[in-house]
Amino acid sequence: MIKKSAIEISQLCKYYLESGRQHVIFKDLSLSVTAGEFIVLLGRSGSGKSTLLNLISGLDPPSKGHIEVNDIHLCELTEQQRTIFRRHHIGFVFQAYNLIPTLTVAENVLLALELIHAISDYDRDQVVSLLTQLDLADCLDAYPDRLSGGEQQRVAIARALIHNPDIILADEPTGNLDIDTGKQVLALLENLVRKAGKTLIMATHSEEVTGKADRVFVIKNKALTWVTDKR
Amino acid sequence: MRRLLKKASRHFLYLHPWQLVIAILGITLGVAVVISIDLALESALHTFKQTTQALSGKASYRIIASDGGLDEKLYTHLRVGQGVQNLSPVVNGYVHSTAITAKTFKLVGIDPLIENTFQSAWRQDNKTGNNLRLITEPNTVLISRQTAQSMQLQIGDSFPVTTDTGRHILKIINWLPENNARELFAHLLITDISTAQELFGVLGKLSTIDVVLAHDPAATIQRIRQALPANVLLMPLNEQAESLRQMTQAFSLNLTALGMLSLLMGMFLIYNTVSFLVIQRRLLFGSLRSIGVTRQQICRLIIEEALLLAMIGTVLGILLGIILGHSLLPLISGTINALYFPVDHSVLKLSPLQIGKGCLLGIATTLLAVLVPAWEAYRLPPHRLLLRSELESGVRRFIQSAAWLAVLFIFLGLSLVLLTGNNISMGLAGIFLMLFGFALLTPQVSFVLMTMLERLLARSPSVLVRLPVRMVKAEISRTGCAIATLMIVVAATIGMDLMIGSFRQTVSEWVKISLPADLYVSLSGNMQASHKSAADHLLKQRLAKLNEVEMLSSVLRTQLFRGHTRNKVSVFEINEKSRQGFIFKQQSHEIWTAFNHQNSIFVTEPYAYHHGLELGDNILLRTAQGEQAFAIIAIYADYSGDQGHLAMSRNNYLRYWPDLGFSGIGIYAKEGSNMIQLEARVKQLLQPYQTVKSEQAIYQLSMQLFEQTFRITETLRWLAGMIAFLGVFSALMAIQFERTRQLGILRAIGMTSGQLSWLISIETGLMGLIAGLFAVPVGFIMAYLFIFVVYLRSFGWTLAFYFNAGVVFQGFMLALVAAVLAAVLPALKMAHTKPADALRNE
Repeated sequence: MIKKSAIEISQLCKYYLESGRQHVIFKDLSLSVTAGEFIVLLGRSGSGKSTLLNLISGLDPPSKGHIEVNDIHLCELTEQQRTIFRRHHIGFVFQAYNLIPTLTVAENVLLALELIHAISDYDRDQVVSLLTQLDLADCLDAYPDRLSGGEQQRVAIARALIHNPDIILADEPTGNLDIDTGKQVLALLENLVRKAGKTLIMATHSEEVTGKADRVFVIKNKALTWVTDKR
Repeated sequence: MRRLLKKASRHFLYLHPWQLVIAILGITLGVAVVISIDLALESALHTFKQTTQALSGKASYRIIASDGGLDEKLYTHLRVGQGVQNLSPVVNGYVHSTAITAKTFKLVGIDPLIENTFQSAWRQDNKTGNNLRLITEPNTVLISRQTAQSMQLQIGDSFPVTTDTGRHILKIINWLPENNARELFAHLLITDISTAQELFGVLGKLSTIDVVLAHDPAATIQRIRQALPANVLLMPLNEQAESLRQMTQAFSLNLTALGMLSLLMGMFLIYNTVSFLVIQRRLLFGSLRSIGVTRQQICRLIIEEALLLAMIGTVLGILLGIILGHSLLPLISGTINALYFPVDHSVLKLSPLQIGKGCLLGIATTLLAVLVPAWEAYRLPPHRLLLRSELESGVRRFIQSAAWLAVLFIFLGLSLVLLTGNNISMGLAGIFLMLFGFALLTPQVSFVLMTMLERLLARSPSVLVRLPVRMVKAEISRTGCAIATLMIVVAATIGMDLMIGSFRQTVSEWVKISLPADLYVSLSGNMQASHKSAADHLLKQRLAKLNEVEMLSSVLRTQLFRGHTRNKVSVFEINEKSRQGFIFKQQSHEIWTAFNHQNSIFVTEPYAYHHGLELGDNILLRTAQGEQAFAIIAIYADYSGDQGHLAMSRNNYLRYWPDLGFSGIGIYAKEGSNMIQLEARVKQLLQPYQTVKSEQAIYQLSMQLFEQTFRITETLRWLAGMIAFLGVFSALMAIQFERTRQLGILRAIGMTSGQLSWLISIETGLMGLIAGLFAVPVGFIMAYLFIFVVYLRSFGWTLAFYFNAGVVFQGFMLALVAAVLAAVLPALKMAHTKPADALRNE
């Protein structure tokens, strides 16, 4: 059976203007990701891993080229439409967790759902269930600044998954964590995403993750180089 | 090391230019308002003093009489009979010219032959020979070259003027000297004494006699005083100027207080900006502390930056103050003219002392404002500097302590207000202390209100509903200060609007009651004019003969000496109906019989207040026969001026003083008379300089004058408001810009820019709501204190408190709208910021 394509990127270019000079991040980058795949992006700091994730999620528009996610042409969408797209299709896990400091753990997760529809008791139960699954049942009413890094990242994973998006983007999710906590978080993320059949693209420095990925790419010299393919 | 430290710190400042601009603007506007008020006030009073000096030269004493003027024989008697040298007789008044543009000149008649010992500024450069032409050629004048040229006149040209005695032609024979006093000469005409007497119709009369005490001053003073009649005084000129200055003291103090309110708002603005800059750089300071930079070095860095801002802001503030002072000068001079004494065409005068005062104010205010943020940066250890949450929890403890301090300030302020008797400065200081206390209390009140609202919303399943409340609460260090600033300005607006409204209503009712007649004839004119009294009486007889006239009343507004001061006196000829025109605050029994037939007197409320007089007290007034005692039998309301005046019956007055005619005649028409016809018939009997107005027209004029005197207050209030709103905008915008990353996260997880704008608006709206809610009671307290403390102590007026729901609603809406408006810019910025960029922001 031919798997459906989740992400199609072709001839993608991204550059920034810095002090009047054009700073090229990618040039003619192409990539095809099938639904349910686990992709790892490797590369040095500043190579453009985060930028690629931002482009796929619609946080940043490309300078040139095409991005198609679940048959939606992102380049043809307005800023408003890209936001709505992100709301439904993307779950984002950041290196710095990026939780809202003024909301409790449960509220941080519920917010992602409320942006899609009005909250019901069923949604609340769903949130509690997911957070319990992530071993955060005791922290439902705690504020993020009272949690450890690992706990915060688990909340961020819950927020990324609660609205059942097709694609999970993780930008160095273990970058701020110690080795053991990092392993736990990775295992959790892989487990949840694999089980739910979601597409996962993870930018990381960790070589350890590469063993679990379906495909591994390196961003080098403004281009994407394929490293391994387990498919 | 210090250079590198400064570089590390200033790079951040370059990235936030708008914050710097707003901080500088805060200092600039605060200093500008205070400087401009000081400049305008001082200039108006200085002009008065300078004009006197320019005309009187070295004269140190002046012989003055009440409105009847001095008999010119007195001058001859002093000079020839008593052998007093160095006397300068003066006749002055105002003439109107319509050449090219309408202009009012002060015309001063002098003796061109008097001794050079006077060294008057008008006399410099003019050879006596030239001045002699003033005597030899009638109707000749000296005028300033610039003024003449603006009227397209040259030496030898003539121009028309009008006085009470009619139209006259004046001829220019020379220019006034172009010395230091030339600006004061712009509206001055110098002529010979006899020309002035003819122009004003005061033959045989003098306005004043200036005296230079050359040799043996004490003996000369003694000699002059012995030769003067009982109702003529020899007054030191500086004492006269001082008494005029004291007259305007309360007015000056109230304006200065308004200026200080602007500075207080500016201080909030500086505090907001500097604390924003400190909080934003906590990472930088934390890093610097971690690598060994000391607390003192960080603290010095912040203070040096603030000093730099203060210096730039102060210099700009002084420059703007001078410009603003030019605009305020006519308003302030106008009010002094209307309420106190004539200040002729004031010129703005800047002294080094005022510049020094401005510098001190700007720098001291800035340093005071940065104390708290500098202390914050000083006291936190390096690791805690890095955490915003630690900072906020520290602030939460601080606002709890501040709330207790606030209660102490409010209590102290209230005690100052209640326990300082009639002291205006202490009353104002008490109000300021209370206001500061309320501002200090605001963050805690906001925190408590937000906690209550949060509990109320806890039942709502929506996270988005709770988010704005949490945002206000979580960053109370910033939101609290913005709410406090907004609360103070809205409270000041509500307080002043309620006060002005109450004052307007009180005055309106007073004017209506004090105008019982149907028509009023104004008989302005020089009271020294020999023909005036007879002409006034003739007119009164003619008016009484008109068919439609039922009865008449009259008033003469003059001045009489009580001790060494001139006091305004209204001399009434009262009928049955005009008795209704008084609102008595206190009165004895059978006052009308006593008023007409005994040595008794009424005093206005401000007069009684300023002089500490009560019912039954006696007032000694100078008459030609010596001092006479008049018993106070009533104290009545009067809002026509803040110095107050005396009122006596015409019968009483004529027993001791000469008949100077009338200042006004009230006409009571018979039932059913056609008022328009009557007014027209009265007009036919009047001279061109006399007017007749209906009671309604006078009411409208009075209310216009009321609005005019409040224009300066309104202007200053708007300036203070502008600074405060700038502060609020700056604080609210800083809060939003500071959390760009947080807003970026919301965008990243799917919040649209519209939803984000809504969220920001709800948050700032909530802040406006708290400010508005808290501002209502504080505004009420302010209005109450203004009416029953400041106005009573300053002017001696008791006003009724009128509640106006519209004012309260407007104030409340002002807070809400201003807060929501402040959200527009950050919302627009967020809408145009790519979420990826916002997420990168630190």
